[in-house]
Order: sequence, then C-alpha cells, then structure tokens
Amino acid sequence: MPEIVYSSTVTAVGELVPDFAEQGVLVFFGENAPLELHEFSIIHTPDVQTRAPQVGDTITLANNEYNVLAVGSVASDNLLNLGHLDLKANGLTEPEMPGDVNVEATMLPTVQIGDRLIVVSHP
Amino acid sequence: MGSYKSVVISAGKGGWGGPLTITPTDDRPYIYSVTGGGIHPVAARIAEITGGIPFDGFKSSVPFDKIAVAVIDCGGTARVGVYPMKKVLTVDIHATSPAGPLAMFITKDLFVSGVKADDIKES
Repeated sequence: MPEIVYSSTVTAVGELVPDFAEQGVLVFFGENAPLELHEFSIIHTPDVQTRAPQVGDTITLANNEYNVLAVGSVASDNLLNLGHLDLKANGLTEPEMPGDVNVEATMLPTVQIGDRLIVVSHP
Repeated sequence: MGSYKSVVISAGKGGWGGPLTITPTDDRPYIYSVTGGGIHPVAARIAEITGGIPFDGFKSSVPFDKIAVAVIDCGGTARVGVYPMKKVLTVDIHATSPAGPLAMFITKDLFVSGVKADDIKES
C-alpha cells in the first residue's frame, strides 16, 4: 500500500523562486529559517514527518507528481531538522551534491501559498 | 567591549576555497551558525578562540554587517551562496564547491568548505 511519509503546506513563496525554478531547482525551508533564506525559498509547515524522500518514492507538489531518482547524504537531516529540501528536476540518478533530491528533468510547477508537498512511499 | 583574536580556517578534506582569516570586531562580533540544532561545534570553536559571540540563525537574527563569519551545513545549493552574495565570510561544514543558482558569488576569498574543528587554527 502506498503511504504518505511526509506532507506539508506552503505558507510563503519567495520572489526569486521562479528564477530558481527556471534552473530546475526548488528550495524549501521550514518557517523558522532565517529571513535571508526566504527570498529564494518556498516556506512550508509540515503535518506528517515520518521520514524524508528515498529513491522510488513519489513527490507530489501542487498536484504534479515526480519520481525520486536520487537522494543526497544530508537530504534527510536537512528536511527533518530544518524543513529544508533542494528539489532538482535534473533526471540524474546520482546526487551531484549532498543536499540534493533529484526527480525527472521536467518543468517544475509554479508553487503558490496553500499548495501541498507530499512524499509517498511505494513498498 | 571585548578584545578579539584571529583564526585562520583552511579547507578540509575534499573542501574548496579559503583559507579565510576571521577576526571579530566590536562592529562585527557575531559567529552566525545557520545549521539548525543549535550552535554547530565548528561555530562554537571559532567563537571560543576568537572571543566572538555565537548565535543560532534559526532562533534569532542580526544584520549582515554585524556578522564576522557565517557557519553553514549546506548540501550545496542555497545557503552556500547566500552569505557570499552578501559579502559575508562563509564556512561550510560540508565539502561543497561553487554550484547552484548563486555559484557566481562563491569565491575563495569569501568561502571555505569541508571544515572540521581541526581546520581552525589560532593565528
């Protein structure tokens, strides 16, 4: 049975988020992140935090679904401790950097306040 | 006000950039830990040697022009560029190299990575 292992709601979208999205990157932080990080970040507040994404999970963001292809070594700590996620639509099956979570090389959505970020495991 | 000492911080194993000389002053006394989970040991070590004031960026904030050095645990995309962009000396715990949307701001005179406590020397 698929299971939701992480879910959260977007509470703010920084003004530089579209520029990052054009480069295939979305940066997330929790609400207690320092203000200088809000400029380019999607700020969100989680309601389920069982675990961070793993390869084989799907991530649904603003009703778009992506397959998790690679997860960097510090991505889990980042998400569970700081609400921080570097989501990269680059199609790479090896993480380039330790904070990366990679999905297919495809368009990332225009994220708005109230949108949901959901990670689903498929055991 | 305090009297401050200097430290020289070199890139650790697999790291990049630096070495940076950090000298807090009365105008820029703060050792800024943007790491979550409290003051990172590397930030604590810099503060201990220099006499700078450690503080946790996920709990409170100070203006950029009061920061002697920012200590981050960035996996390579976001925080890695923010503080160099603001001309704040930056120490990354992780062994990252310039990359991501803010890579152009990450230079050897502002940034050093892969840093462990042993890479911090009194000068």
